[in-house]
Amino acid sequence: MNYLILASDPSKIDPIKIAIVLGIMLVVAIVFGFLIMVVSKKFAVEVDEREEKITGCLAGANCGGCGHAGCGGLAKALVDGKGQIDDCPVTSKDQKMQIAEILGIEYAGGGESKIVVKCGGGDNAVTKNDYVGVSDCVHQNMVVGGSKQCKTACLGLGTCAVKCKVGAIKVKDGVAYVDQKLCIKCGACLRACPKSIIEKIDGRAKVYVACSTKCRGKEVMDACKVGCIGCGLCAKNCPSCAITMVDNLPVIDYDKCTACGKCVEKCPKNVIKTLD
Amino acid sequence: MDFATICAIVFTAVFSQNFILKQFLGICPFLGVSRNIKSAFGMGVAVTVVMTITCLITYPIYNFILVPLEIEYLEIIVFIFVIASLVQVLEIILKKLSKPLYNAMGIYLPLITTNCAVLGVAELVLGSDLVTNLLGAVSFGFFGGIGFTIAIVLMSGMREKLNALDVPKAFEGFPITMLIGCFMAMAFYVFA
Repeated sequence: MNYLILASDPSKIDPIKIAIVLGIMLVVAIVFGFLIMVVSKKFAVEVDEREEKITGCLAGANCGGCGHAGCGGLAKALVDGKGQIDDCPVTSKDQKMQIAEILGIEYAGGGESKIVVKCGGGDNAVTKNDYVGVSDCVHQNMVVGGSKQCKTACLGLGTCAVKCKVGAIKVKDGVAYVDQKLCIKCGACLRACPKSIIEKIDGRAKVYVACSTKCRGKEVMDACKVGCIGCGLCAKNCPSCAITMVDNLPVIDYDKCTACGKCVEKCPKNVIKTLD
Repeated sequence: MDFATICAIVFTAVFSQNFILKQFLGICPFLGVSRNIKSAFGMGVAVTVVMTITCLITYPIYNFILVPLEIEYLEIIVFIFVIASLVQVLEIILKKLSKPLYNAMGIYLPLITTNCAVLGVAELVLGSDLVTNLLGAVSFGFFGGIGFTIAIVLMSGMREKLNALDVPKAFEGFPITMLIGCFMAMAFYVFA
């Protein structure tokens, strides 16, 4: 082998050979360097420069909590006007202000989110059958939709708690509960819940509706002691008209809500709960 | 180049010398991008394309430049250079010409620049007795990529099914994946 001879006997070093090797490498480098240069000029895709700037401002966790493929995806959606700044739960308020400046839009701030479990049932919800099997909500849900009579009841086996990376979810009295102080709003629990009763709500929220059932009063009464019967007392008594009834469930408009607590007081079933 | 040789190349590249399950090249995408069938297939297609182009370029470079000048020992460094540049070029062109194809395949391309299966095909094609000309080299690269795709798609199919199974705690995640890979490799040994 040539290079072995080179290494063992310096007197046999052939300058021409070395020149050829250097020449080849140089030629390859120049040819491909030039090729890449030409191709990148010729096939340049116009990327909105704001996109890169916004990507720089976002948290860079690439967690997918916004529903896009990484931070770059959200940046693109923002530039295209398809996304909302508040879609990102992780980015700090200062950074969001900067993004708004880059986009040239108004951004009032606030808008962080909170994650709540929209069920207060647990031990108060009627059990229709016994479940003996793997202690996991997804599995239980596969067997005739879980053991609770209410179709939108928290099964209480804590699949969300297992998926939570920061340990913010605890199962208390048979129902999952999110600790707002620990929650980083990544949304892992939203994806884990087979019943889809964990929801992301407005960060200003001081009260939330801890029930997801869309059934009528009678059915709810039979299935759960703390289910929303759709009476509408909360909506009628809200002084700032922030509550509307949709599908037998109150929907709170957090733009109008003043956190007076009237709805919490008036609810006969204690479905509306305060957040700490 | 007769029909029998082509058949032999196809069988060798896809089954008996399968890049993942026999040669153990390109294991990182095999384990990393096999979570679902869709992305595994995207990765497989990207690898197939890059492997074919790699053989198309490196085979002549070796035979018409390096061999006459008696500097065969430069092959690895030159090949790395060529493959990395080509993948770069391919990515830029894809981005311009076809946005959906770029979205489906483009994200895997940067991963392939340093993939050992791609460098492996460039090296193995030189040592193979079956490959005697450029057509043979290109088909070896292409079917090597097909073999890669088959292996990674099979793997991802099994991993998707695995999600619904109750795996013992100690085997969750990577251990069970490695075990599956092991059984697949053993199964492919019947071709060797």
